[in-house]
Amino acid sequence: MTRECSVLLPGVCAALADPRQPGLDDTCLEKLLDWFRSLTWFDPTVELVQNNPCLTELLSSVLALPEPSPSILSFALQLAGILASSENRFQHLQQEKLLGRLFGQAGPRGRTVWEDASVRSGWVKGVHSMVHHQPALHFLCSEGGMDVIFALQGDPSLFVASAASQLLVHMLTFSVESETSKPLSTKDCEWPACAQMIKRHIEDSLQSSSASRIEQSLKLLTSLFGSCYAAWTEALWLDIAKQIESFLVEETVQAQHMLANLLLNVARSPVFCDTEGSFWALVTSALEHLTPVQAGPLAVGLLRLCKCPQDVRIQALTVLLQPMDCILRAASQPLEYAGLLDESVSDPVTVESLLSSKASCAALLCQTLAHLEKLLSLKHLRVDLPHLSLLRSLMTILQFCNGFLSPTSPLGSTISRNLINCSRVQKSALDVLAALSEKKGCDTLLGSLFDVLLAYLESPNTSPTVLKKAFQATSKWLVHLQELSCSSSQCQQTEKILEDVFVVLQKRLCSPCWEVRDSSLEFLTAMVKGLRDQDEFRQCLLSSEVQRLTENLLEDPESYVRASAVTAVGHLACIAYFAPGSPVVGNHFNKENTVAKLQEILSTDSEGFPRRAVISIFTKWLREGCTGQLEDTEQFVSRVIQTVEHDLDWEVRLGGLELIEAFCSQTIGQRGLSECPYAPASSAAPAPTHQQELLQVFCRAKLWGFLFRSLCDCDKPVGQRACDILIGLRGNFYPMSTLENPQEIEDSPAGRGIAWLQRTLRQGSLAQNFPTDGGDGVDFQDPESMMIALGAIDLLELHDELNKSSDHVEESPQSLLQDILATVGTIEENEVDCY
Amino acid sequence: AGQDVGRSCILVSIAGKNVMLDCGMHMGYNDDRRFPDFSYITQNGRLTDFLDCVIISHFHLDHCGALPYFSEMVGYDGPIYMTHPTKAICPILLEDYRKITVDKKGETNFFTSQMIKDCMKKVVAVHLHQTVQVDEELEIKAYYAGHVLGAAMFQIKVGCESVVYTGDYNMTPDRHLGAAWIDKCRPDLLISESTYATTIRDSKRCRERDFLKKVHETVERGGKVLIPVFALGRAQELCILLETFWERMNLKAPIYFSTGLTEKANHYYKLFITWTNQKIRKTFVQRNMFEFKHIKAFDRAFADNPGPMVVFATPGMLHAGQSLQIFRKWAGNEKNMVIMPGYCVQGTVGHKILSGQRKLEMEGRQILEVKMQVEYMSFSAHADAKGIMQLIRQAEPRNVLLVHGEAKKMEFLKQKIEQEFHVNCYMPANGETTTILTNPSIPVDISLGLLKREAAIGPVPDAKKPKLMHGTLLMKDNSFRLVSPEQALKELGLAEHQLRFTCRVHIQDPRKEHETVLRVYNHLKGVLKDYSVQHLPDGSITVESILIQATAHSEDQGTKVLLVSWTYQDEELGSYLTSLLKKGLPQSTA
Repeated sequence: MTRECSVLLPGVCAALADPRQPGLDDTCLEKLLDWFRSLTWFDPTVELVQNNPCLTELLSSVLALPEPSPSILSFALQLAGILASSENRFQHLQQEKLLGRLFGQAGPRGRTVWEDASVRSGWVKGVHSMVHHQPALHFLCSEGGMDVIFALQGDPSLFVASAASQLLVHMLTFSVESETSKPLSTKDCEWPACAQMIKRHIEDSLQSSSASRIEQSLKLLTSLFGSCYAAWTEALWLDIAKQIESFLVEETVQAQHMLANLLLNVARSPVFCDTEGSFWALVTSALEHLTPVQAGPLAVGLLRLCKCPQDVRIQALTVLLQPMDCILRAASQPLEYAGLLDESVSDPVTVESLLSSKASCAALLCQTLAHLEKLLSLKHLRVDLPHLSLLRSLMTILQFCNGFLSPTSPLGSTISRNLINCSRVQKSALDVLAALSEKKGCDTLLGSLFDVLLAYLESPNTSPTVLKKAFQATSKWLVHLQELSCSSSQCQQTEKILEDVFVVLQKRLCSPCWEVRDSSLEFLTAMVKGLRDQDEFRQCLLSSEVQRLTENLLEDPESYVRASAVTAVGHLACIAYFAPGSPVVGNHFNKENTVAKLQEILSTDSEGFPRRAVISIFTKWLREGCTGQLEDTEQFVSRVIQTVEHDLDWEVRLGGLELIEAFCSQTIGQRGLSECPYAPASSAAPAPTHQQELLQVFCRAKLWGFLFRSLCDCDKPVGQRACDILIGLRGNFYPMSTLENPQEIEDSPAGRGIAWLQRTLRQGSLAQNFPTDGGDGVDFQDPESMMIALGAIDLLELHDELNKSSDHVEESPQSLLQDILATVGTIEENEVDCY
Repeated sequence: AGQDVGRSCILVSIAGKNVMLDCGMHMGYNDDRRFPDFSYITQNGRLTDFLDCVIISHFHLDHCGALPYFSEMVGYDGPIYMTHPTKAICPILLEDYRKITVDKKGETNFFTSQMIKDCMKKVVAVHLHQTVQVDEELEIKAYYAGHVLGAAMFQIKVGCESVVYTGDYNMTPDRHLGAAWIDKCRPDLLISESTYATTIRDSKRCRERDFLKKVHETVERGGKVLIPVFALGRAQELCILLETFWERMNLKAPIYFSTGLTEKANHYYKLFITWTNQKIRKTFVQRNMFEFKHIKAFDRAFADNPGPMVVFATPGMLHAGQSLQIFRKWAGNEKNMVIMPGYCVQGTVGHKILSGQRKLEMEGRQILEVKMQVEYMSFSAHADAKGIMQLIRQAEPRNVLLVHGEAKKMEFLKQKIEQEFHVNCYMPANGETTTILTNPSIPVDISLGLLKREAAIGPVPDAKKPKLMHGTLLMKDNSFRLVSPEQALKELGLAEHQLRFTCRVHIQDPRKEHETVLRVYNHLKGVLKDYSVQHLPDGSITVESILIQATAHSEDQGTKVLLVSWTYQDEELGSYLTSLLKKGLPQSTA
């Protein structure tokens, strides 16, 4: 603790204990606790409490209050717990007879104030902080604390109940690990006293007739097995496994999903990795007994495990594929498709009944689809997924949803009735479809797949959120299609699909709904990114109306759409104008017009998003070398910088700096110097002629003024970036050794200007104030001055200053203490007013 | 928002549907604590599957700030509802806050611009009083709430059960918005904010006059006035105030807005003119109130200009960006003034100067001495105690639940509500669940046969009176049907089991058993004239389904034991008969 803080602390403690003071902002109390936590974390000594007696005095004063406010009592409990986290300080507080009055029987447990959830929560958190040594554990057991914690597991406040459960997990683990050294068996007597109490409590609860007690214990066990992988957990498991099995088989308690979570956490534990054990038999039984909805999360969790018996994996996969199989069977004529699963392993009755009911059909499918999406995203799946059948099943679901398929079977027609227009299922199915595009083995169905997708893109009934997903899936499958195309028939198929896609895209770009226009533009950009090298795509694109419509959207009333249009136009330009041999289409669509249009947006658009989009497109063009010869590029960069310099949006200014960075790196590269501006020159300085040329190019591009002024930008990230760039550039002009020691400035007119700049930056970068008249005698266009500036200004120091604190919310403990002290006695109304 | 004025996020489960009301953030933290802990909603499955929809009441960050995090990072992919103005304005505030937050070093786990946009694209905008069908059972409806542009109260209805959530509301019209209104919808539960639960707020006019006086005085003596604001809401209100005042007083000092964001906000106020109050709408015909004559866009260079001026600058808590930059420039001059029109979190310069600190340590080294005047003005538009009572009177809820207020004040209001309206009032803390019992009426189909049978035996049915019916309730495929027991057995393919109640009655009678039986028979025949009483050849008696047999007591031949048994259909008659027999047999029947 700093001296300043220890001076302020007594005043703060006195204010906190004073019941006449209006309540403090809760965040202040929380932040104070954060601070004490950090102070005690690595320091077990008693110094903190000895040197700051005001802390124990605060605890005593709060305890002495006849009616302490719940928030301050809660604070005191937590503070005491944090202080008592080391044995030394615990003993100190015991000597002061504080802990018993806070956490013991004499504490707030029996008082009216206990009814306030924040007090109970403070008590549990306090105990949790305290129990990091054996004396605390014994203290708690002897003071009847265990029964309180057991009771708090069923607290009406979710937060308290959950904290109590976590506390028991912590205590059990801590008790076993700190109080025994030999391996434990299931015999109670071998377990340390505290662990024994908790173990017995768990066993009793599991055998009780109260559903809530059973649930509490299941929760506790779930988090225990999820967080502790020690060998002793096996002994505990052996003790309760029979009971868990009976819950599964007898279904006497309605806690099936908890059982699934528990089994999954146990399965994840390395303690149970032996694939022969009885545990896996229990898992198998769970997969059989739980309903498909309950078993789903368990199944997907098992499939992600590295160590899991193969037969369990196959069974888990069966659980997940069953609904998809059922869909396929319901839609097809008898014997048309084999389905996804071998009939001998699947028992479709339950799934069929769930899919037949309107209430459960969508829920089961959404859950299954989400699980399948997860599986598809896994790099190493240890079972084979039947991709083609899965695709067929997904297409069937999508067709059920938009009414394009009305099967004759009774089950099929029921399911299709249940699914019609169900956007939840549509979205989930499209997500899986997109994920499936990266898998092999689906090529035979591509034609019909695009029929389904196009139907979605075309249909006026497709909601904007579903349409967005349909676009995403389509662009992924188009990329997949491109990878396949080789034979002429495939080429024809691709061309036909692309033509259809562009027709529908044209329509969607004119939608009255901005969300649809925006998603269409995002789709277009994604297509250009993925298919720009494909001739069929370029031809289709350039012969369609899409390009014209996209440029029209640069004037859309919705700024999000304008921004997306800018990005799309930027990407289109790469194909249409910048690529070698690009066809020139019409008079209106040319490079100059597009650049001019985007520049106009950059300087005049009233909103940030389109301007940000323009600057990032310009940077992209520059990086890809689309801006032409160096002279053109210089002019281009200089124009952009002059526009961006005064932008009100700091992200646009930041974008401007990124453009400069790209420009510098390119220019330096073209001059044969190191490509990376941050790679400082070796000990020998680069050839002076190169330096001169570089300086001149940069001066002509007018980037120095922007860079130096940005050091004082009112938005810190801009200043930091500018400083990084300047440091990088300096490395190209001065050898490494001079970086540490800034040059002395010669007494010349240029030198005087730079001295002024030096002074201004030293104060201004912190005050974020660069004189608006531009700079007294500094010529940012003069290569010589800039060379001096780079050498003379201590950029490294500036860099440190700028990075010291990048926001102005003062987070130091000293500031917090000052704020608390200052708040004491201010008018109460300030506290209430939020918005 | 349980017993505090912080993040609002309420989960309502109504008739099997789960709706999340608001998704707010806490500006006072910059770690996990700033967002609600969504893991408490469900630990069983995905949020998208669990929640049927999310409703956002208005654009303030303590009501919508966590939404992009929830939908784009936590992964909720279901429907989100808000009004049109809220949908338009929400991203501006979220963007504003994101910018401030990403400015912080090492800031992670925060949403990007793209995420804000993706989130907004999932939002379904609703009109006032439009009934929106979320699914076949769940419907929602928005009502005008005042407070800020686009703020709405929402009614959530499933079948005959309903909940109204007020969000933040204001029952008195202010300069640019009208008063909240709801019809007499008699919800099962009204969830109301209670920020000013114990306060009767003075007229806002006084505060406005005070504000204008202070600004005017400062400008008159040549000082500069800085008003740090968030992009939207209060800024517009104060602009209208100043604009009108400048016009009336013919003042010349310039008024500036510091960012483009506020211009966009003004654009929305113009666009959603129908959401403002009547006065603004009326004057709109002659002049758009949001078309400011005196207020101009600010350029950074203007801050150094000599002479008086008024500047609105973001952000509102003086913790970054332009407002802080201008504050640093002007703080040293006692002629200048800063007016803080809203709440500031601990650690910000705004919080420090409001608590009276005058020497600020900036960035570890420099000390900034604040000589300028510091004023705090509360313009927040919440219903006061009177307003809350008025709303309850309007909506006539069966239960009230208070949120978004301080515990002590809520307690007071809760008692007042319970006293005056005789309804239960709850005030759960964060993390607590309140369960409210409702009396849902569930429609049940009755089979024609049963209906005919019941109609035949009872009095003529009266449409206005409820009628008690007996039958078997079949719950199958989400439908309920009341059928006759026979039909139920047939449909379910079950065999009937007879359940009989038995009772032993002891009577003193020294005669032979068959004589006792005869006495009983005669007695019953005389008393139960309307029933079929039979003496069977095996010596037992039946009255309807009731069977009576007599045996001599094993130990005392003078006592006869009558075994009475009956089916549940004749339960009433059975108990009547036993009580009759318990009284003994009349002598005359011998």
